[in-house]
Amino acid sequence: MPGSSTSISKIQAGGGRITLSSHGGKAWISEFSATYPLKLLSPRLSDNAVAIVYVLTYGGGLVGGDCIELTVNVESATKLLLLSQGSTKVFKDRPQQRLASVQRSDHASRSTPGQASATLQNMNFTVSSQAALFLLPDPVTCFRSASYSQIQTFHASKDATLVILDWITSGRKSLGEDWVLSRYYSVNEVLIAGKRVAKDVMLLENNEFNSDSRLNRSLAEKLSPFACYATVILRGPLVEETIVQLTTRYGGISIMQRKAPEDLLWSLSSIGSDKENGVVVRVAGKETEMVKDWLKNTLRSLEQHIGVDVYRRAFV
Amino acid sequence: MDDETFLLLLLSDSNLPTGSFVASSGFESYIKHGFGGDQNNRTTMFMRDSISAYARSALAFVSDTHRIVQDVRRDFERGSEQKSDFDKYLQKIKEVDDLYDAMTLNDVTKRASKSQGVALLTLYSKGLTPPLALTGVKNRKETEIEVNSYMTSLVSQYKSLVRAESAPGHLPICWGILTSALGLTSERSQYLHIFLHARSLLSVSVRLNEIGPYNAQQTLLYISRSVIEAEVVRCKDLRTGIPSSTGTESDQPDGVDDKSRGPANTWPLGEILAARHDLQHSRIFNS
Repeated sequence: MPGSSTSISKIQAGGGRITLSSHGGKAWISEFSATYPLKLLSPRLSDNAVAIVYVLTYGGGLVGGDCIELTVNVESATKLLLLSQGSTKVFKDRPQQRLASVQRSDHASRSTPGQASATLQNMNFTVSSQAALFLLPDPVTCFRSASYSQIQTFHASKDATLVILDWITSGRKSLGEDWVLSRYYSVNEVLIAGKRVAKDVMLLENNEFNSDSRLNRSLAEKLSPFACYATVILRGPLVEETIVQLTTRYGGISIMQRKAPEDLLWSLSSIGSDKENGVVVRVAGKETEMVKDWLKNTLRSLEQHIGVDVYRRAFV
Repeated sequence: MDDETFLLLLLSDSNLPTGSFVASSGFESYIKHGFGGDQNNRTTMFMRDSISAYARSALAFVSDTHRIVQDVRRDFERGSEQKSDFDKYLQKIKEVDDLYDAMTLNDVTKRASKSQGVALLTLYSKGLTPPLALTGVKNRKETEIEVNSYMTSLVSQYKSLVRAESAPGHLPICWGILTSALGLTSERSQYLHIFLHARSLLSVSVRLNEIGPYNAQQTLLYISRSVIEAEVVRCKDLRTGIPSSTGTESDQPDGVDDKSRGPANTWPLGEILAARHDLQHSRIFNS
């Protein structure tokens, strides 16, 4: 690997590394590796300012036992856009789905019997000074009885920009799946200059309460009437304008007594007590398309930082 | 009547000055936004989802803080040298408090949580510590008075941190401090905290004309009870992931254990509606 003085780290099944470096005003990908079932694609760009990487899995989805570990380094003054190609589909627990035999990571081998076939995605991001990370994947869709965990940790410098989108849909409409997943667990932890400012943990479970059926509240009941829930974390210099726009828009909303819920709802909250920490936006929509359109419009000012063509790829 | 029972009766008094009566836990916003269908079931539905969500997000913080203050008490009883060195304990409580702040990404909830939290600390210092002149209390032991003044010191020092904005002073943490300083067991503390959350929701419901006062009592006695119990059982062993000073807690941040043992938000709809409380054109509750 040119310019790299560190030894190539051993990669487990489902492991991956991406490092975006810059030198003399030009950005280039200095580290780029992935092991089955993880797959990374990087299209060639005419504009060197932003690198785009597509994070995919073979088969277009995750099956029981899959464990993805991705390490991403966005070095000084570079911009990285991470996308997926289509919704991340999570299939239900079934033992030994993958036909290829690859050395399993430590995690998968020592997981407890009950969690033996759950899927896990563990991602670590480091975003350096004046760098920007735009994490804009398609939503996760957990199929019937699927169990999925995702842990994303972001280490950002004081003047780094983060746009983190994490969203989930209710299932395959065609099969009438309406929040019939078994378990969905997602953590987004943000540290700025080493200090933890946000740790968003979402846990959605369909669980059997006890014999008293009155107490059973299915996920579908709790989340109704929305089929898509999204969380966006925004902080840093490149999204200052977006945050101001959001704040103004939010402040202008005035709710009078309604007979029924709107098609789309969103909320805005600050992270910590320091403005520099950024904001959290939460969106819920009756249809995924509605949420996608809302996000596309709301984040549009990113075009000036990554270009119109690049932005278009994000909400296809 | 034993001490603990008396304390429970005292702490469940609706006249207890904690400022909780201005908080609707998102119920007012829920109704205003058109959720819950017809009025008959709205309160029960909201209550079930709210209790479940609150227990999962807050109980671990109550119990972990409670444990830290218990450690302080135990240090005192052992006659430990650093009797008045609260610093390491204050830092531990602050760590738990900061984590709750980082995990509660909701301006309205945080606002309500902080105002009730500091009210609890104030309640302790001004209303639940022995008065200066303890005449006629023959049975009070010497050590008990010492422990009380020790706890009073701890609470007032933490309150100073909160006033100075060095610590957030969130409700679950302050509840853990208060109940532990008073000598309530962790189980009782957890149960009472969720009970009070449920009862508060029913008061809100009555004030919003959703249900009548008798209906509220009936709901509390026959419906809320099973929800409270189920949720407390479900969440009583959750941990924040911050180890206690005794080091007996398994320290696996972000490990496999976190997925089943830690606090979490389990009701994103409730989160959004609570956060949107201030967007209501007119409202009677503060949060």
